[in-house]
Amino acid sequence: MRNLVIWARRASFFPTLLACVALFILMVMTFCDVILRSVFNAPIEAATELTRILMAILVFSVLPMISAGKGQIAVDLTDGLFSRLRLSRARDAVVYLASGIMLIWPINRVWILSERARDYGDVTEYLSIPVFYVGWFITFFTVIAAIAMVITGLMYIFAPHALSEQTQ
Amino acid sequence: MTAALIGFALVLVLVLLRLPIVFAMGLVGTFGFAYERGGAIFSERGLKAAMSMVGRQITDTAQDYGLSVVPLFILMGLFVNKGGLARELYAVSNAFLGHFRGGIAMATVAACGGFSAICGSSLATAATMSKVAMPEMRRYRYSDELSTASIAAGGTLGILIPPSVILVIYGLLTETSIGKLFVAGILPGMMGILFYLFAVRWTVWRKPDSGPAGERHGWGERLTALRSVWAVLLLFFLVIGGLYGAFDFHPLNLTFSPTEAAGMGAMGAFLIALSRGGLTLSSTFEVLKETSYTAAALFSVLIGAQIFSNFINLAGLPEALIALVTAYEVSPFAVILMILGIYIILGCVFESLSMLLLTVPIFFPLVTSLGYDPIWFGIVVVVVTEISLITPPVGLNVFILKGVVGDVSTGTIFRGVTPFWVADIFRLALIVLVPWLVLVLPEQMGAMGH
Repeated sequence: MRNLVIWARRASFFPTLLACVALFILMVMTFCDVILRSVFNAPIEAATELTRILMAILVFSVLPMISAGKGQIAVDLTDGLFSRLRLSRARDAVVYLASGIMLIWPINRVWILSERARDYGDVTEYLSIPVFYVGWFITFFTVIAAIAMVITGLMYIFAPHALSEQTQ
Repeated sequence: MTAALIGFALVLVLVLLRLPIVFAMGLVGTFGFAYERGGAIFSERGLKAAMSMVGRQITDTAQDYGLSVVPLFILMGLFVNKGGLARELYAVSNAFLGHFRGGIAMATVAACGGFSAICGSSLATAATMSKVAMPEMRRYRYSDELSTASIAAGGTLGILIPPSVILVIYGLLTETSIGKLFVAGILPGMMGILFYLFAVRWTVWRKPDSGPAGERHGWGERLTALRSVWAVLLLFFLVIGGLYGAFDFHPLNLTFSPTEAAGMGAMGAFLIALSRGGLTLSSTFEVLKETSYTAAALFSVLIGAQIFSNFINLAGLPEALIALVTAYEVSPFAVILMILGIYIILGCVFESLSMLLLTVPIFFPLVTSLGYDPIWFGIVVVVVTEISLITPPVGLNVFILKGVVGDVSTGTIFRGVTPFWVADIFRLALIVLVPWLVLVLPEQMGAMGH
């Protein structure tokens, strides 16, 4: 189990790097767009559609990490109560399992939408990038997030020790 | 309407069971939507419609051009912070205010205000400033009450003085202009600083020992301190001025959309941090990583909130509330007072973003149908949210302070915060009674340079 946790942490570097690169490009591109538009009256025409794609990459590539690592925004008002009743572990297991399983339906739906875009041959306006690639990307990383959450939930039940080392 | 109320209660229960907000709102929103569309929760027609809505919401929100403002503004704050802004801002305010009685606490408030002009989060402002200001106030033997309270309260300014993450979320939820919301936050934010300065004065007037005067700085020192922050001040004026339309004249013709302003701000902050040698490859990676994690969490929550909001609207809760208000002939002002009361009560237990996401979809249509300005309501909501950050028992800023400082009890901080809280209530009353204070600047927008 410990190996799995170590492996997952190492593997998470690559999607994080992808998000960082997307964010950096987004920043530089927005800056260049404004400068080119105001000084040379030549804006980057594809800036809007690239922004959209970069945003999807930025958000979804780190989704598995924030979902499995308590990064999702939650209300911790009842934490004291749960820990007093010694139910924190059981609650976390249920929350992770339920959240992971719940994602099956949206995943399915986003997949259908991107397949439909592929059938229609939808492409972006300026660069003609096929729209379904973005849909596939979102689907893929949401699947990873769902699997990561289910595994985290199972580990809360069967191997809480390995998990507590992960959070350190 | 009953379905909407049950849905609302269910979300509250799930959220209190610590289900992440995105899943609580998404789940209830989906099944609620299915119920409204198909007549039963598990009807095939309803579920199909609901899933179609959910799928669209996920792909559209993640690719919303307007939303790119969120990561870019977060990035700007983090880069500037790497350049050592907090310490420098504090040095400047201290050079100007430190020699007054309570002056170092006043400098803390002013520095918090300055930091808020770059950072869009109250918790980050409080956490950053406490590391800088607390040791200095301890050195001058300021009472724990005053020193912690000035940081906790000063930190709340982060979400009002632009840029502000909460205002962006409000703007996106209600389709209100983010640029105008930002500009509208400026005057109430300055009032916040001023009122907090009075709160410090009041505290040292009551207990002179709590905030002794520091040493006086000469003009030479003051100017030297100012020199270190000029680049960041310039950046702020460039970003907000660009949003305001201040550079919209020939031959520049430069007006920023919020995304462009955020992009310029982030890039400017990156260059400032780079030129000061505050950035290495690994610290740049850390900043980008922290930004993308925060942005992804905010986006997830926003997707959940929009799914829930679609259900609430379909269930007709806003219309039902409007009908109720009309039937009982409640005056619009009484409605506003009731809403403020609800916010202050919710704020005692809820964290700011969750409170906003839960309530705005319900109250916003009601308030605008009564003829109130959406921009004004946004600022009012944010000011109430600020108050909730220092209201017991769950004032989050107080807990941040407790976390960073350690050896002070939350009771002490809450006691110290009381005058600041009263100052906030005064400010809220003023903004509610005189909407002009909020609306005067945004109404001028775009009028300049033409």
